[in-house]
Amino acid sequence: MFSNYIKIAWKVLLRHPFYTFITLFGISLTLTVLMVLTSFLDHLFGAHYPENKRNRSLYVGTVVQTDSSGTTTSSGPASFGFLVKHAKSLKSAEKVTIFSNFSFSNTYVDGKKIKLNTKYTDSEFWYVTGFEFLEGKPYNDTHIQNGDHVAVITDALRDQYFDTNGETVVGRNIEIENVIYKVIGVVKGSPPTRLYTYSDIYFPYTAPKSNYENKGMRGRFVAIVLAKDQSDMPAVQSEFDSNIARIPNKEIQDGQRYTVLIVKADKYFDHFVSTFARSNSQKVMFYTVASLILLMFMGLPAINLVNVNVSRILERASEIGVRKAFGAPSKALLWQFIIENIFITFIGGVFAIILSSIVISFINSSGWIAYADLTINVPVFAISIAVCLLFGFLSGVLPAFRMSKLKIVDALKG
Amino acid sequence: MLIIEIWASFMVLFGVLSLIVYNVRNYLQPVGFEYEHVWNLDLASNQDTLEVAAKLERALQRVKAYPEVESVSRMSSNTPFSANQMGNSVTYNKVEVGADFYSTDGELSKTLDMKMLKGRWYQESDRVSKFVPIVINKAMEDKLFLDEAAIGKVIKVDDKKSFKVVGVVDKFKSRGEFMSDEPAVFELLAKDDVWNANMLIKTKPGTDANFEAKLVKEIAVMLPGWGIEVSYLTESRKNRQNLTLVPVLIFLIVSGFLLTNVALGLFGILNLNISKRKNEIGLRRAMGATESRVTTQFLGEIWVLASFSLLLGLIFAVQFPMMNVFDLDSEVYIIAIFAGIVVIYLIVTLCAWFPSKQAARIHPAVALHEE
Amino acid sequence: MIRLENVEKVYRTSSIETLALNNINLNVKKGEFVSIMGPSGCGKSTLLNIMGLLDAPSKGYIEIDGSRVEQYTDKNLAHLRNQKLGFIFQSFHLINDLSVIDNVEIPLLYRNSSAKERKELAQEALEKVGLSNRMKHFPKQLSGGQKQRVAIARAIVGKPEIILADEPTGNLDSVMGNEILNILQKLNEGGATIVMVTHDDAMAKKTHRLIRLFDGTQVV
Repeated sequence: MFSNYIKIAWKVLLRHPFYTFITLFGISLTLTVLMVLTSFLDHLFGAHYPENKRNRSLYVGTVVQTDSSGTTTSSGPASFGFLVKHAKSLKSAEKVTIFSNFSFSNTYVDGKKIKLNTKYTDSEFWYVTGFEFLEGKPYNDTHIQNGDHVAVITDALRDQYFDTNGETVVGRNIEIENVIYKVIGVVKGSPPTRLYTYSDIYFPYTAPKSNYENKGMRGRFVAIVLAKDQSDMPAVQSEFDSNIARIPNKEIQDGQRYTVLIVKADKYFDHFVSTFARSNSQKVMFYTVASLILLMFMGLPAINLVNVNVSRILERASEIGVRKAFGAPSKALLWQFIIENIFITFIGGVFAIILSSIVISFINSSGWIAYADLTINVPVFAISIAVCLLFGFLSGVLPAFRMSKLKIVDALKG
Repeated sequence: MLIIEIWASFMVLFGVLSLIVYNVRNYLQPVGFEYEHVWNLDLASNQDTLEVAAKLERALQRVKAYPEVESVSRMSSNTPFSANQMGNSVTYNKVEVGADFYSTDGELSKTLDMKMLKGRWYQESDRVSKFVPIVINKAMEDKLFLDEAAIGKVIKVDDKKSFKVVGVVDKFKSRGEFMSDEPAVFELLAKDDVWNANMLIKTKPGTDANFEAKLVKEIAVMLPGWGIEVSYLTESRKNRQNLTLVPVLIFLIVSGFLLTNVALGLFGILNLNISKRKNEIGLRRAMGATESRVTTQFLGEIWVLASFSLLLGLIFAVQFPMMNVFDLDSEVYIIAIFAGIVVIYLIVTLCAWFPSKQAARIHPAVALHEE
Repeated sequence: MIRLENVEKVYRTSSIETLALNNINLNVKKGEFVSIMGPSGCGKSTLLNIMGLLDAPSKGYIEIDGSRVEQYTDKNLAHLRNQKLGFIFQSFHLINDLSVIDNVEIPLLYRNSSAKERKELAQEALEKVGLSNRMKHFPKQLSGGQKQRVAIARAIVGKPEIILADEPTGNLDSVMGNEILNILQKLNEGGATIVMVTHDDAMAKKTHRLIRLFDGTQVV
């Protein structure tokens, strides 16, 4: 039965190359865009180098201070002290790292300027993230206690700043804003889309200009709380929530008239969404708009396919009539056309995977995102297959319904 | 179904065109200042809390003294092309206008070569007791003072502070070309200010990174423990532009593919439908209709269909200018609607032209024989 | 085997009502070979379609093998057609995209038979019509007579008790037409009940019984 359907579908494809082209063009392009998009979203939100443990990481990125009516709101990263007190103290977590949000600086070498992203971190940072050390090793608690002027740099900065001659740069000095740091490690750089961990150079938080001593709740630091296990995350979150709930009102006021404090330890994606959609209604709005765009995007090619398919029903009328005459129930015909459509969609899917690979390798090599590591990995592939099925179903079900409702006598006349 | 397809295409077109029209309209308006050779020196006092204002003043004088520097001006952190924004609203005569606020000194108009429309840029001497001199842009003047002249007007902020307008500049699109011309207020920086620690430095042409390195090093010696970062406005501008251009480009590519897809599909459907009506064509031709008559008839049919879809689309689209969605100028939406209508008719005509032309060319006898 | 009682069929368009069949009472017995004749437009094909459950009568009852079908759902009707009926059409209605054997297998697709079983039955049916050497061919490679024999194979592959043929020889020359009739006669001798619409007197004479229709009314 199945092979019979596939045979027909294949023959129908071969019969009119032009319509096949239209069909496949639409399907392939739609799926390509969706696959590249999925791959990009996976690049943004999936667990990738150096945040390989993102699946069990909770991000404490923003402190929101507001009044009860929500008219005045102030938000931003937390102070070092705040995070030490409320995040570092979490008992249910495996490890907690505190590090500064991105900041910028420049360094100069041979009349050339190098723009730098700088970051101040604690020693746990190197445990929570999965940075690969090409040379040397990370700084440890002793370096931090001593306030040593040491730094970990990326391979890209090494190649720009030093004349390596193939030798290690560990132990050499780098000068930034008139402070000299000793390089103790070189890591493989990460794409800038890893917003929290990306940097060109990493210092211990006790190095100059980190401002970790600042008082108050707000500052320039964020934290990643690593749960022992993915299933442990809700427990860690509720412990963190209860820590925050214990903060006295006086502290919340922070010299202003704020009465409400919102600090969450969120999974990366939730955290990302909450940075621009704070209230639940804004989140609903965000998801609505996103799904509307997606619907529009998938809907238009689907409607297009439906129209082409419906217009071509008459071509298949005799076949439908015969099948019905010989006892095919409507349901069987409905499935036949849906399966045919899914089959065609999968052919389009194969093209789409090829096209996506080309687009992705182009993005990776274009330098548009440094260290870009977009891939079509298992989750991306699985989502693509699901999308193919959905798309095939979406564009097949209406024409199939029309076809299966065709009257036998009319079909045989056609 | 065809109506829905054309309708959906129109909606997509309308969205993309609105985005494009909005950005192109903005792009066509000048930013209102010169950014070539201008650097942004971003200072951060960090843990240093002693005599910050005096140190900033010393640093400013030091920078000014370099022969490579043409002029230097202190400014709040919302420097041109930066991601920072400071918004506030002012009220005059019960008219409330929200505007971007920039705190600067008396040198900014020189450093950024801003064109004065009326009055002059403020000086330290303009500060009289509680009156803080301000310069506003044309958009602000139009919105706040309506038909009145702005120069000399006093805007009360609170009991201790009032603004006095001393000058009007033309445009100031600090977030770059793609920003719309929004109201802006420049306020004279307080003498003892410690918060606004950005300096815009206009260098002489030909100044390079060697000078920059020297500058950073000397300032670092002057201000130990401070954060020092230099960026070029030309580079910030490029980053800023990409932030607008990349999404627009992605939308453009994606909707381009969508519309190609729709056009191909439409072509296919019309081809099928028209070839199904060969009898009718044969009959018409046999009864003396010319080729062009037949072609026009098919084109007319698809135009009617497209018009229905567009009417449906218009019902949705006109809500945008009417409800002032996203606070955009309604002209943007209206241009987008018209452009969308033109493109849809164009696509539909192109897709119907070829099949109807081909069908009309069939010999009447052949067409009738197919029965 | 097939019983029609007071069957009436009216076709309605927006302006005209046409009476295609008027008060038809018929009883086709098991093992009978019946032919239906009449001028074109007299309702022969409509009658056959109603007997074959391809179309519903406007009035009256149909009984197939003892079961009244007016209450049947679309699914039940499909099942009944699949089990008891086989169709042969004037214009063959083979599916051009499928090979001969795949065409013949179609009725079996809607039964619970395995691929192997289907293949065996299809081969058997093709042997009966003398086309077992053409299994892998496609309809376009066959002559009209061969096509109709494939269609017959398709009609008999499910071993239905009733075969309904709508001018099976209408598109064929007389030599091929006789060949087809011979096959039908053989099938009838094998026990199948056959109803055939034709306008060829010579063909009709070779059947057990002749029904004549004129303007939707049974005249003989």
